[in-house]
Formats: sequence, structure tokens, C-alpha cells
Amino acid sequence: MMQQQQSSVVALEGTDPVLVGLVSNRLHSMLDEQQAALVNTAFSPVVRESYDLACAVFDSRGSMIGQSSGGTPGHINALATGMRHIASRYPAQSMAEGDVLITNDPWMTAGQINDITVATPVFRNHVLVAWFASCCHSPDIGGRILSAAATEVYEEGLRIPILKLRTAEGPNEVLEEIIRVNVRTPDETLGDIYAQVAANQVGARSLLRLMDEYQLDSIDDVAAEIMDRSEAALRNAIEQLTDGTYTAAMECDGFGGQPLTLQVTVTVRGNGITVDYAGSSPQSPFGVNVVLNYTRAYTSFAIKAALAPEVPHNAGSFRPVHITAPEGSVLNCLDPAPVASRHLVGHFLPSLVFEALRPALPEGLPAASADALWMSVWRGNGTTKDESFTLTVFGAGGSGGRPTKDGLTTTGFPTGVRAAPTEVLETLTPLVQTQRELLPDSGGPGKFRGGLGQQLQVRRRGGQAWTVNANIDRVDHPAAGALGGMPGSAGSFTDIQTGEDLPRKSLLRLAPDTHVRFRFPGGGGYQDPFERDIEDVFNDVVNGYISLEAARGMYGVAIEYLGRPDATVRLPESFRIDRNATRTLRGERQ
Amino acid sequence: MAASGNLRVGIDIGGTFTDLSILDSDGIVGVGKTLTTHGAPAAAVASVLADTLKAHGLKGSDVQGVVHGTTLVTNALIERRGAKTALMTTDGFRDVIEMGREHRYELYDLNLELPQPLVPRHLRIGIRERVLSDGSVDTPLDVQQVQEVALELVEAGVEAVAVCFLHSHINEQHEAKAREAIRAVAPGLRIALSSEINPEIREYERFSTTLANVYVQGVVEDYLEDLRQRMKDIGVQNDPLIMLSNGGVTAIDVARSYPIRMLESGPAGGALGAVSFGKTAGQPNLMAFDMGGTTAKLCIIEKNRPLVTHTFEVNRVYRLRAGSGLPVRAPVIDMIEIGAGGGSVARINSLGLITIGPDSAGSEPGPVSYGRGGKQCTVTDADVVLGYLDPKSFLGGAMPLDADAAAAAIDAQIARPLGIDIAEAAWGIHATVNENMANAARVHAMERGEDPARLPLFVSGGNGPLHGPGVAQALGSPQLLAPPAAGVLSTLGFLSAATSIDVVRSSHAALADVGDDSICALFEKLEDEGGQLLKESGVPEADMHHERSVEMRFIGQGNEIEVPVPAPSPSWKQEALASFALEYERKFGDVAPQGVGVEILTWRVRSSGPEPDAKLRFRDAPDAADALKGHRMAYFPQESGYVQTPVYDRHRLAPGHSLAGPALIEERESTLVIPPASRCTVAQDRSISIDFNQGSAS
Repeated sequence: MMQQQQSSVVALEGTDPVLVGLVSNRLHSMLDEQQAALVNTAFSPVVRESYDLACAVFDSRGSMIGQSSGGTPGHINALATGMRHIASRYPAQSMAEGDVLITNDPWMTAGQINDITVATPVFRNHVLVAWFASCCHSPDIGGRILSAAATEVYEEGLRIPILKLRTAEGPNEVLEEIIRVNVRTPDETLGDIYAQVAANQVGARSLLRLMDEYQLDSIDDVAAEIMDRSEAALRNAIEQLTDGTYTAAMECDGFGGQPLTLQVTVTVRGNGITVDYAGSSPQSPFGVNVVLNYTRAYTSFAIKAALAPEVPHNAGSFRPVHITAPEGSVLNCLDPAPVASRHLVGHFLPSLVFEALRPALPEGLPAASADALWMSVWRGNGTTKDESFTLTVFGAGGSGGRPTKDGLTTTGFPTGVRAAPTEVLETLTPLVQTQRELLPDSGGPGKFRGGLGQQLQVRRRGGQAWTVNANIDRVDHPAAGALGGMPGSAGSFTDIQTGEDLPRKSLLRLAPDTHVRFRFPGGGGYQDPFERDIEDVFNDVVNGYISLEAARGMYGVAIEYLGRPDATVRLPESFRIDRNATRTLRGERQ
Repeated sequence: MAASGNLRVGIDIGGTFTDLSILDSDGIVGVGKTLTTHGAPAAAVASVLADTLKAHGLKGSDVQGVVHGTTLVTNALIERRGAKTALMTTDGFRDVIEMGREHRYELYDLNLELPQPLVPRHLRIGIRERVLSDGSVDTPLDVQQVQEVALELVEAGVEAVAVCFLHSHINEQHEAKAREAIRAVAPGLRIALSSEINPEIREYERFSTTLANVYVQGVVEDYLEDLRQRMKDIGVQNDPLIMLSNGGVTAIDVARSYPIRMLESGPAGGALGAVSFGKTAGQPNLMAFDMGGTTAKLCIIEKNRPLVTHTFEVNRVYRLRAGSGLPVRAPVIDMIEIGAGGGSVARINSLGLITIGPDSAGSEPGPVSYGRGGKQCTVTDADVVLGYLDPKSFLGGAMPLDADAAAAAIDAQIARPLGIDIAEAAWGIHATVNENMANAARVHAMERGEDPARLPLFVSGGNGPLHGPGVAQALGSPQLLAPPAAGVLSTLGFLSAATSIDVVRSSHAALADVGDDSICALFEKLEDEGGQLLKESGVPEADMHHERSVEMRFIGQGNEIEVPVPAPSPSWKQEALASFALEYERKFGDVAPQGVGVEILTWRVRSSGPEPDAKLRFRDAPDAADALKGHRMAYFPQESGYVQTPVYDRHRLAPGHSLAGPALIEERESTLVIPPASRCTVAQDRSISIDFNQGSAS
């Protein structure tokens, strides 16, 4: 161990910093090429429109050197750990040029059976020199369509151990056939896997070109250097923090009215951080459980975003952060626990870690966001195969107010996933979105307001029954405000005709004429709303981001509308701030 | 040699300068440059044209044609100087332009910002109507509501309205009816329909494009009218032609309807200039590289044509990052912009590595060596330390540079923290910025199925000749081409552009299902439309030709690739499929899925007139006697450090002259670096080409 330490120091001194910088930049531009190829050749809207994916490059031993700049944290960081498993299952001597590996094992990779990892070793002069891999959310993998109602992972779909997907002779036809007959969307599921293979190939091609150009037989030394420097940079950022133990806890909806507690203890000591989730709920009998890989993914994302966003994300920048969760807890569940809706728990971890670290960071951190990405899976069975559909739709609530700015409206955090256009979704399926609009008063009031959520209404054409699984959260537990800010609004999922709440996180059968409404949660506010700039409140009222009532009640700003009561177009000139009343309102509170 | 009549004039209004060049049938007669007059941009155009004509003893009536490009449209969008605009959209969808794709384009940055929509929420009105994805009407248009809203908008002082309904690219009737209804009650309101401006699927992009178009239309109309009048006043008979961002030119009246097609028309001229010099040099395929003070731009020329794309972003508000701008779908030369210029700041990042930009010291305070208060070392400072820039002759000696201050800054900020010497640090800055640009160029090329190592690099802009050789070598380019008069390159490019317009129609169908009749009908309609617009630009029918392309993908994919296709014929489908297979493999390798059908989403026709025969060479012969100005020390790592390097005056290098590197060739605006082990040659048109690894070993 000592010796290893020394040799890496020698490498640090011996490697030309200019060369390391050049190679490092080039690797990142390669990953963008890889991601562009993946998006451009993918079949499912989940990948091609919503970017539920990540791409990464690894050294010959499977240590992550870099990740593509798009993609989503849960996949990126889980890839880093996943590749360790893959490289140890298939050591270099068992691999040959043309091999491609595949797995969706939740415990080895991204914690959900829909997330498929495809890894391609790169050979130069018959020596394995690197890996390219990507992880994508598959449109379907069989099972119960991501319902959290499953009680074991076996119910959730087809589990693929680490296997060879292709060799130089061609595809593994047995495996392809097995996948094909087990999924509802065989063309899309396999089409995306092919896109992953193609994208890895694009990355590999560019890497070989780089190695030729710089006459490198191995990239391991340069990779080690990049990782060491990233580690040092993150350690340096950690060192700026005051040593201490910081804690936070929160509740989220869980399943079936049984909320879950998430609790974190962050210990900063010198240039290292340990994050422990002891005190969190035990693992659930339902599919809201998170594998440790995924817990680590979102935790390390949070640490890096909070402390050193500019440091590249790689195996080196993971080293200073040690993350643990009790075995058998909801954040470190054991095989074969059900895991389909794990993101509805895992996505809360960054805001939880921010809450804990808030006292340690003088420049501040955002208030809690809507956090959990809202995902709904729609399924209709027609009389013919062509009329059937399975569609995954993503949508974002608001993100939390920030130390110097409002939170972002309808923008995913912490996920990097995008929404797909209404026109695309309606072209692919009989679904009709009758409203997709901002939800006024949903942003948590604060000096810096939380971002707004949205309201989305959906019905279908065609007079047939259909189903939906609404994988959503923050219906019972809205996003908290920070430092005197107020919470964002809670979410809801209702039947428009009856006004009744509908069940979440499980398969729901809908009548042909059912019309449903989602109200997405807003982000939490940051600091006291009575300190919000009066002009900003006025602007929010004019544009309908907040109501006149909220301006008065939540922000202490009295604004009158002076225009015609039936006017549709209401210009700023038709509103007036009552300065005296505002002074009184704001004064009263002091 | 006196210039004859029959003059053609190219004019480019940039953010800082308005450039001009005058050509007659033998070549360049004169060039001019003046500061852009932002209040009335046509004023600077008129004055620089009048002055340049006068300086050469010419009259306005000698001018046969003017071709004009401008960044005016881009600037109006960035500075939000457009009309007071409202949006009428499908009820329930007024926030499409604010919600965008609900995406954080930068994962780790907690402070990122999203683009501000052009229309504030209080002017976005939901209209009761709904068309479904198959074009059927779900809720009929509420005409009465449209009229009531229109009247309210007029009362509110709104000047323009974009009508953007869902699925209008499939069924445009509701938008058309809405326009009729608005016109009936509010004839003064300017109206744009998304089904006309950009009839393509994906509502965010279509709405954004339509809004941008109508938002700037008034500004552009006023400006074009002013320009037309001022040209007449000078005595120019014909109306100016307008450069479009797709690399074609068109009549003023066509440009008025589609102002967003003028976005980036200045850089388009630069690309066409590259085409023109490339033709003379026998290089139909090029990578055109322009580097100025704050950014660098790159585009690929294939078979004498710049590549064109149909989607881009304007006004990127956050570090030039994709996703931080307003999406616009219009045919535009496929160009990438990188935050790398002479003023780009160099620093050591938290990893202890050199990084450059994307922030720039600009011209105020500028690089340290400008002596105007700049404290952070920049790319230009490194170039001074390396000896590539002469502190005494920068901008023809108009602005002496402080080399000692540059060296001191690099020493303190880069060399000492890294434990290397000043020259190594300066070289590190120079090489890093070159490599950054080469990386961007490589990704750009690879994504388009091009091999950057096979493309000669064409350089322009103040820093293009200085950094181009390094970029070319990082890319493995075989050759570099440096044109004369690089400072007014875009105006020269304008004069080589053919009259041309792109027309487009979305019509989604599986290739197998498209009938031969509908293929013919579609293309015929597009060709008629394009032909009509060309006719309005004065192109005789006999001189028109139409190029067809379609955007295709495997059924089930979400992204299309543009595929050139022949004119309709019985074998059209097979030919289209073969063309698709070829393009797919070029872009993504041999991994096309088997047994999956192919579909067409978009049909395009580019209708063009003949290409003008523009000769871009200088007519005056140089005085070659004394091209060698002297020697100075310049740094080349291949030579293990500083070496005595000969310095030449570019204006005195005669055609046929050949030099071995290392050498420096200076002109007023820039210095061309000839690296060791390379050789350069001056061509007849006064371009200089560098062949790498061709230097004399002796």
C-alpha cells in the first residue's frame, strides 16, 4: 500500500501536465461523440427524447476516467461501480476483440431492472486498453411496468446477468431471442441496445485514433494522473470546510401510505468526508428500495455539485467520499428486494445532503426541490399488436430557491432527464394531453422563490381501456423551504371527473373516458418571503406565477388589479402596488 | 488599372465593423471598413460604400449589384429589441416556450440559468381549439375568442402576434382561420403562423422559431427599407440582394417574410469565401476556421458547399452552453462556435492543469500586453511571449504591445504554479487553446461522418492564421489555406453566392407506404414554391435548378439524418434507401439494425439560380523584391525552443514564392505562422498554402 502511494506521487511529478490536460480534454470530447451517436440512433423516446442515459470511459482495469456531459447522475455514478463488477467477472484474458457485454443486474449497476448497461472493451494490438460503456433506461423489460407493488425483484422483469451480448462472430442470438419474447416493446428495447453498441464503437474508434496520435500503448498512466488530480482537487475543496458532524432527516411518501424516513450523518474530517445513512427506514416490502450503488451515485453527485462542480467526475473524485448505509435499510436493500421505483427515494438524497451541509457552506446551498422525477408508464392493449402501446413519460416539478436566485421552474433536479414534446408523445400513442402548463402558487415562497411545478391532464383516444403507473412522490411530503423559506406545494394525482385522488406507484386500470390530472410539486423557498424584492413579487403577480392573494398573504405585498374584470390581456400597467399597505403588512410581521 | 463599370459590392454589418468589398469582372477593386452605426445600420453601409467608390473614382451608377449580410437579426434577438409580441396558442399550452424540455443542460452547476422566452407570460394567451396528432379536429377554433383577444392585444399596444397551435404542422387550418379572424378586427397587427414559418413536429422548437421570426420582423423591415432607399440615393439602380444563413442570397421582399433566415448571415459569407478560394486552389473539401478576439467558429465545406443544418440556438445565455439559448429551426450553415479567441483567459484549474476561457478579456481591458488594465494572462499574451506577434507592428504598429508585462503575468499565473519556465507555459497556453479548438472541430466532423484529418484547414479572422497551423497539426490536416484580405472575407463570400432558397414540408410516412404520385406531387409543390421565390428575386426560370433531400430514420428512432435524393422516378424509393444506408454508415458505422423499415419525416428542396462568376484575387501585382522584413526570436518546440525566425511582409510576397518553415508572414490584421518542417507557397490569387511535413530538411 505504501509503495503504491509513492509510485503515484512519482507519476504525478513525472507526467507532463500539458499532455495530461490535452488527453483529458480529448477524452471528454470523445464521450460527447459517444453520447451524440447514442441519442441519434436510439429508438425509445426515453433515450432519444429524454436522455435517460449515461456514457463513460474506463481504463483497462475498469476505473472510470470520465463521463459524458449529458446524462443523468444515477446512471453515471452507478456505471463507475458497475464496471468494477463487469471487469472482475470478465478479466482481460477472457475477452477478445469484438466482444460486447451486457447486464441489468440492479445490485451491480443502476439499481433498477430497466436500466441496461452495455460495455465494450477496446483492444489495441490485441491488448485490452480501455472500456466504453453506457447505461440506458429501457422502455420495457417485462414484469409489472415499474409498479412499486411488486414484492420481489423477480416480479419486476427479466434479469440479465453479466453476459456476452456479441462476439466478433456477431450477436448472441439466444440472448436476443430471450429478451425479445420477454418485453412488450421488443423493437425499441433491442433497438436501444444496438444504439448502445454503436455508440461504444464510436467512442472506441476515437480513442484508438488518439492513442495513435500520441503514440500511447496504454492510457492507464494518463488516466491515473487525471484521477489523482481530480481526487486532490476534491480533497482540497473538502479541506475548506469546517470539520464536524452534520445531520439532516426527512420523510418521503414511501408506498401505500407508509412514509419512509431518510436520515444522513455527514462527517467532515480533514480532506475526507464520510456519509452514513444510519437511522433511515428499513427496506420496504414494496419496490421503493435503493441498492447501495444508487445511494452512492446520488450522494457523490451531491457532494461534488455542492463543493467542486468543476472537478471531473471519475474514480479519483469518488475516493475522498466514503458512503455507507446499513444493510437491509431502504438505502442498501438486499437481493431480492423489489427496486422498480428506487428513484422515488434515491432522488431525495442530494437535497437531504444539502440540508445537512448547509451550516458548513457559507455561500449556501439550494432549498429542497421537487426532487423525485415524476415518471408515468402508460399502457394500452389494442385488438391488434399495432394498436398496443407502452410509453414512459417524464415530467419535472420545480427546483429549490437558491442563495442568490429563484429556483428553476419545471426543471429536473437532481436528474438530468428531459421531457418529451407533447406532439411526439401524441404521435406515438393515442394519449392526448389536454393541459401542460405552469401551476401558479406552486413555488415555495421565499426571498428567492422555489421554481414552479406544472399541471398536466391526460386522456386517451380510441374508446379502449388503458392503464397507468404513476411513479410519483411529494404528494404527502412537499419540498421544505430553507432558512425561513416556505415549502413548495405538494403534488397530486386525481381523476378529473370525480375529483378523487388516485393510487400512486402501482398499476391503475383506467376506463376509456377517464381523464386524469397531475399537479407537480414546486421547489422550496429560500429565506424569508417578506424579504423578497417588491418588484419581483409584482412581476410574479403580473405573469401569474403567484396570485394576488399569495402576494399579500405569503409575501406581504399588497397589489391591486385595476383593469377590466373580464380582460384576458392584463398588462403590468393594470396592476398597482399599494406601498402603504405593503409597509403595514411587512411591518406587522417584524 | 482603372476599374470598369459592372461593379458588384458585398457588404457585411458586424457587431463592431461594417465591411465592404467591390469587385469587377477582373477581381477585387477595393475594400472598406468602418464602425457599425447601431442606431441606423444602413447609414454606415451608405457612407462606406460612397467613400470607397469615391476613393477609386467610381460612381454609384457603376454598381450593378449589392449583396448584403448582417448580424442585425441576431443582435435584435440578443438585445431584445424586437416588437412587442404576443403568443396565441392552444389553450392549456401557453407555457411551452417557458418550460422548454424541462432540462438541466449542465448537471453539476447549481447556478445555471435558462433562456428567457421572447414573450412574457402575461402576453401568452390560450385559445380554445385542439387538433389531434392525426390532423383531426378535437375542439373547433373559437373564432370569437380569437377576435376578442386580438382587440385586447391592440389596445395593449401589442404590435405582433405569433399563432402557434399544437399539430399545426399536420393541419394548418386553425392557424389560417385564426389569421383571417385577427385580420378582420385588427388589420394593423403583424401575424405569423407556425404552420408557415416552420411546419415541423416538436412544439417547443416550432413555437420558438415562429416567435423569433415575428419578433424581429418589424426591425428588419424598417432596416431593409432604409437600406433600399439609401442605395437608391447613392445611385445604385438595383435593389440589394440579401444573404441568407443557408449560404444563398434572395430578394429583399423574400427576406422580409423570413427574417430568421438571415441569422448568422455574416459567418455564412465567411464560409462561402472559403468555398470560393477553395475552388481556386482545387480544394472542394475544407474545414473553415475563423478565430477572432473572443470566439472561434468552424464549419465544414463538402464538394464546394458548406454543410447546412436546420436547428440551432441563438442567444446562449450561459457560457455558450447548448441548451442555454433559444432554439430556432431554419436552414443555416452548420457552424460551431467555441469560446476561444485571442482574449481568452488562461488559468490553472483545480486539477493543476492549464485551461483556457471560455471567458475573454475582450478588447477592454483586453490582454495584459494591451496595457489597458488587463491583469489575467490571455492567449494573445502567450503569442507575444512566443514571438509570433511582434509587439511593435501589431495592427500595423497602431497599438504597441507590452511583451514584458505579458511574460510577467504568464510567469506568475501559469509558469511558477506549474514549475515550468515562461516559454513552456506560454507554449502550454498556445497548444491548449489549439487543442481545444481541434477537439471541437473533431467532434463536429466525426458527428457529420467526415474525417478531419483529410480536410485542409482554411483560416480567417485576426487569430486564424496565427493558431490555424497548430489546429491543423493537431487535427492531422494535410494542408492549410490562408486567403488574402481575410478581414473582409465574408463580403467576398457574399459575391460568390448563388440566389437560393430552401423550402420544407413535414410529411411523415414509411418509405414503403409512400406512393409514387405523392412523391411527385410533394416535390412539385416545393419546387413551385421555391421557383416562385426565386422568380421574385429575378432569376429566369431557365436558370433555376432544384436539389432535393429528405430527412429519414429507421422507424422507431427519434432523430433523422438528411439524405440527398434524386428527382422523382420509378426507382426513386430504391435510390433513396441506398442513399440513406450510405449516410447512416458514414455517420454511425456498420451497426444499422436489420429488418427495420425506414421512414421519411421531412422533405426539402433547395432552389437555386446560377452561381455568379466572382474572381476574388487582388488585381495589383505585388512588389516582391523586398518581402523579407527581418528576423526575430520565435518559439518552436520542434526546434527545442527559441530560434531566429525570418519575418516576411505578406503584401510583398509574389505569386509562386515558396518558403520553408519556421517563418512568420505578417500583414496588418494578423501573422501567419509557418511551422518547422512545413513549406508554404503563394498562389496566383495571393492565397498562401502551407503543406505540413514538406519542409526542406537541408
